[in-house]
Amino acid sequence: MTKYWKSLDGNSIQKKEDKKETKSPTNRRDFLKMFGFGLASTFVLSRCENAAHKAIPYLIKPEEITPSMANYYASSFFDGDKFNSILVKVLDGRPIKIEGNDLSTISQGATNSITQASILSLYDDTRYRKPKINGVDSNWLAVDDQIIHQLKKIKEEKDKIAIVSPTIISPSTQKVIANFKKQYPNTDHIVYDSISASAILDANKESFGKRVVPNYQFDKAHVIVGINADFLGTWLSPVEYTKQYVQNRKVSDDNRKMSRHIQIESGMSLTGSNADERIIINSSEEQNVVANLYNYIAKKLGKEKISAHSTQVNVQKLGDELIQNKGKSLIVCGTNNKETQLLINGINQLLNNYGKTISFTHSLLIKQGNDKQMLDFVNNLESYKGVIFYDCNPIYDYSANKKIEKALKNIDLSISLSTIPDETSELVNFVCPANNYLESWNDFNPKKGIYTIAQPCIQPIFDTRQEQESLLKWAGIDKSYYNYIKDVWQADIYSKTNRIFDFGNFWNKSLQDGILELELKQAEPKYKYTLESVKIAKPKPDLELQLYESVNVGSGKFANNPWLQELPDPVSKVTWDNYAAVSVALANEKNLKTGDVIKINNTIEIPVLVQPGQAKRTISIALGYGRTVAGKSGKDIGADVYQLIKSSDYRPYQLSNITIEKTLGFREFATTQMHDSMEGRDIVRETTLDKYDVNPESGNERHKEIEKLHQTLYKEYEYNGHHWAMAVDLNACTGCNTCVAACSIENNVPIVGKDEVLKAHEMHWMRIDRYYAGDPENPEVVRQPVMCQHCDNAPCENVCPVGATNHSSEGINQMAYNRCIGTRYCNNNCPYKVRRFNWLDYNKADALGNNLHDPHGLTENLPRMVLNPDVTTRAKGVIEKCSFCIQRIQEKKLKAKLENRTLQDGDIKTACQQACPANAIVFGDLNDKNSEVYKLFKQQRRYHLLEELHTLPSVGYLTKVRNNKKS
Amino acid sequence: MNRDILKFFKAIVIFNLTLIFSLPILANSDENTNHRLDKTNPEKLKIGKRLFYGLIITGDNTVNCASCHNTEAIDTFNWNPSVYELALSAESMDSATFANTLLNPVTQKISEAHKNIQMSPEQIILVRNYIDTFKELGLGEPKMLVTRLAFFILLILILGAAFLDLTYTKIIKFKPLHGIIILVALSFIFKILYEEAAALGRAEGYAPLQPIKFSHKVHAQDNKIDCMYCHHTAEDAKSAGIPSTNVCMNCHELVREGTHSGRFEIQKILTHMEQGEAVDWIRIHKLPDHVYFNHAQHAGVGDLDCSECHGIVEDMHLLKQEEDLSMGWCLECHRTRKVNFLGNEYYEKTFEEYHAQFKNSELDSLTVAQMGGENCMKCHY
Repeated sequence: MTKYWKSLDGNSIQKKEDKKETKSPTNRRDFLKMFGFGLASTFVLSRCENAAHKAIPYLIKPEEITPSMANYYASSFFDGDKFNSILVKVLDGRPIKIEGNDLSTISQGATNSITQASILSLYDDTRYRKPKINGVDSNWLAVDDQIIHQLKKIKEEKDKIAIVSPTIISPSTQKVIANFKKQYPNTDHIVYDSISASAILDANKESFGKRVVPNYQFDKAHVIVGINADFLGTWLSPVEYTKQYVQNRKVSDDNRKMSRHIQIESGMSLTGSNADERIIINSSEEQNVVANLYNYIAKKLGKEKISAHSTQVNVQKLGDELIQNKGKSLIVCGTNNKETQLLINGINQLLNNYGKTISFTHSLLIKQGNDKQMLDFVNNLESYKGVIFYDCNPIYDYSANKKIEKALKNIDLSISLSTIPDETSELVNFVCPANNYLESWNDFNPKKGIYTIAQPCIQPIFDTRQEQESLLKWAGIDKSYYNYIKDVWQADIYSKTNRIFDFGNFWNKSLQDGILELELKQAEPKYKYTLESVKIAKPKPDLELQLYESVNVGSGKFANNPWLQELPDPVSKVTWDNYAAVSVALANEKNLKTGDVIKINNTIEIPVLVQPGQAKRTISIALGYGRTVAGKSGKDIGADVYQLIKSSDYRPYQLSNITIEKTLGFREFATTQMHDSMEGRDIVRETTLDKYDVNPESGNERHKEIEKLHQTLYKEYEYNGHHWAMAVDLNACTGCNTCVAACSIENNVPIVGKDEVLKAHEMHWMRIDRYYAGDPENPEVVRQPVMCQHCDNAPCENVCPVGATNHSSEGINQMAYNRCIGTRYCNNNCPYKVRRFNWLDYNKADALGNNLHDPHGLTENLPRMVLNPDVTTRAKGVIEKCSFCIQRIQEKKLKAKLENRTLQDGDIKTACQQACPANAIVFGDLNDKNSEVYKLFKQQRRYHLLEELHTLPSVGYLTKVRNNKKS
Repeated sequence: MNRDILKFFKAIVIFNLTLIFSLPILANSDENTNHRLDKTNPEKLKIGKRLFYGLIITGDNTVNCASCHNTEAIDTFNWNPSVYELALSAESMDSATFANTLLNPVTQKISEAHKNIQMSPEQIILVRNYIDTFKELGLGEPKMLVTRLAFFILLILILGAAFLDLTYTKIIKFKPLHGIIILVALSFIFKILYEEAAALGRAEGYAPLQPIKFSHKVHAQDNKIDCMYCHHTAEDAKSAGIPSTNVCMNCHELVREGTHSGRFEIQKILTHMEQGEAVDWIRIHKLPDHVYFNHAQHAGVGDLDCSECHGIVEDMHLLKQEEDLSMGWCLECHRTRKVNFLGNEYYEKTFEEYHAQFKNSELDSLTVAQMGGENCMKCHY
């Protein structure tokens, strides 16, 4: 073939051949190649040496610790907003999991997602490591010296000092502050809550003479009316309320009664989406609706009416239902408006609920903040010479933050006792970092007559000191806080008990239980009519804004917790963001679609989410986002809407007269559920109570038909020993996400970050699907937790080319990560889509460094301490999924074998089951005819997900029953 | 042709050169000897060294220091302290004490070994100076398996030569010979690589030197201490437990002198205890992260004897890994081992059907595998 030359100079064929003659056999390239090969092979050889691992035993082993075995310590969680009695699992010196404390009558062994995830905050890399003076690292000696010097100076000059804190329910801490006040008499203690309950407190003060939140008992109520109160999600004590609520919601073939729940609200809340009937109102109509309801009931019962405006809400039907259940009803309202709360008290009084479903005996003490006091403080901040911010962050969560910020510049002694850098601690002179709550001693008094203890489960990781120790030091009291608590208990609490034990035993028992409940005599205060002065505001016709506490990140204190940020919102399924929920009608009117960024009141830019069931003129936005000073995971996530709240005597979380303006921006939400339709299949089966009453099979008629059709050519499994199964009661599940959090923590499920969730790469082993039905303006909502169904006839098992997933002799669909080669055939063939693929190395489990994807620094040495050593961390390229918490099954089986006994039903609890506040998940052995799961499987409500596919799942669902007469 | 051969050798020389350049990465401990002698007074150090090795006769030439005290890291076991350890323990002694401990030792063991040593005080100082040089340098890393490494490099050389000849030099005309050479060399290379790589995860026969020369033979055989005395959690916890130092002290509070190592090794425990420092033992039995193993199941419920997995530990002065701890080895046992079915209520009541068959003598035994012992999630989760 003719070769054409390219150009005239050089490269002719002739010349090339000449060159070949003189070419050396070892040119530079060959030399480099061989050199490289030699180098590489020697490197490989030299690396092929067993690295010596060390095995370091204790020097002196503590008696109660057995290496590799976990211990549980009773403690308490209180973040200034929610309270939980907990057990902390400590393994080889590291707290790694939090469970609920069964002995507590408040949380009754359950937790919420924030409590579950709070353990990661212990290992937060952004925590303060040592005290700081004006932003420079210092030591405790210097800090104490300077602070005491300045405090004394202020005392001498008779100037004022302020301690600003959220509600303090610790009797010992209250005493510490009292001691501090004694030393520095001009000290004011200002208490405010980031989510204020001032109105309820003050309304009760007026109606009953007691500034407390009463003890609501949802379990005793047959009719529950919630008005903008998300009592299953965030309001006051949601775990306790969920536990009570589901008691009357769980139906069975033998017990076909359940309570009726009507929710009146503006935005779609977790509680609202669980209601039997949901009435949508704009937030400014709230007071008027309550007044009309009051008037209707008052009229029926022959009591005096108050003046109110007309309303379109059908209060007659509601009123009739409540009157029928007089003394067995409960009406709660979440608003921070005193007049409305007075009306609510009035209604409950008319309905004779006090002493029955509402009691003041064990009143709730977790909210005691006073907006009025805080407002006065902020207005007179210039008159203070010293401010101590105790576990609070007003620059972020108090709206008059600019004012505080300005005043702080002129205050010489400003101290923050925060554990992690926050907006407030950035502005103060002295940062005296406190311990994490798992490193601290404390006591709590969450309810009247109920005392709990928090004990440290690990030595302080950094050079920190708990708040009380700091205050004691500055007050000149040389006593450890542990001894201080003991003394307080001996003096104040021990004396209230029957004193059967001596104090030493009493203290040890209280410490072991973590909780002490005193029997109190029922003492209901007398109701005083206080509605004379109540003026009902006229509903306004403009756009309105409703700000609510997010179920996931709460008040925003735990915004830097990636576990919480990655939990999907229970209603919208959005992760890593907050948004402005607008109604379908408003979206059509203003030409908005999900993702469009709007500007509210010309200040805040936030993307829109079109939310079915939203009140037409009301936009809802979650608080707790938009932190500007937080760690990697919390900073600049979403928008901060605290600043929209006007600081006043009762900080309103509902705002009227809102303007919105569409911008050109667009933001995509990292949503975990993008498809809201069941595509005509009966994935969630539901019925109504009246139908269920007649026929327990109603709604689930297909189950029997499909069972009849089950034919198979394959040999069916025989389970000689155990046959593990799980029953999920769709009627109990509220969708609060606690199970998802607990599962992720127990099973080392990685955080993937917003970008990966956007690619649908989230790794959660279980999800809670949410479906809407009916009218988009006011839809019905159903939820369904979905985890691996552990099918007996599993589609995934047949297609794995390497046998990495197969069936165990106990009915578990098992997954061997180290055998998986990542074909994802199983994922494709799973009809439930419960298998997760590790697209990247999220856990640093890979040998190759470049695969690592860890946007939130969770593979650093400190956050890694939270990993459960009994569960493998999965590397890139393998599939993972729910294992029925096999590590827990094996652990309890082994325990039974060692103790020479059979397993008892309830011995084994999966992580999701244990955390669930609604008792919706039951796990057990189907071969045990007395087990709860067996009994639930015998219920007529039981069905299986997509059972027509003949996958024969081990997870059964119980149909949802609505206490709703229509349809 | 001559030119071609020349080229071939040239290529090999260059290839070897590259290897030699890269070898120092492997063996950089050779320089140690030079440094030692260069220090302060090289002459005196040299005399000290010779004294240590018995090259200068000091009256009795039947014994020298080096015959008992190692100066290099070795793979075999030596009861006596190495020079490095001597240097560390002599740190706080003045010359008189040093000489005294050397010549008039308190313990029986050392006095027997040292009884023939005759050295003048000056000579002892010289020896000590030499010993002191190890304080900073240590003994260096243990040597690699030189023969195996050399064999591997040789194989690579042969392989390289064969390739070169095939493509460039073409000396051997009979082409299939190249193929055979390459094939044989490659298979050996892969064999070595595979074995080395496999050994990374599990090492049968792994027996590293421990920071304290603890002998299981002395404790478990000579003194008949039960395994469970020290590893007391083996029957009821996941980990058998390496005894904490306070357990050692139960006996060594009184027992201060051993049969083999005299006081030297036992003194280490006391020092750890006094200084409050834990002992950094070298871990021998290690399963990969994706394997869950629980001692309680095997030693407790299964009633296995420790020796079934750990070998006859009571015969080992230096503990070594007896089995390869591979999955195949685990499964082999799971397939043949019979479960202690009768007598454990858990088995009897959970597996009622089997229990009935046992009663009717239809079954006489069940293997672990028959009870689900081959399930992936018995060990992997």
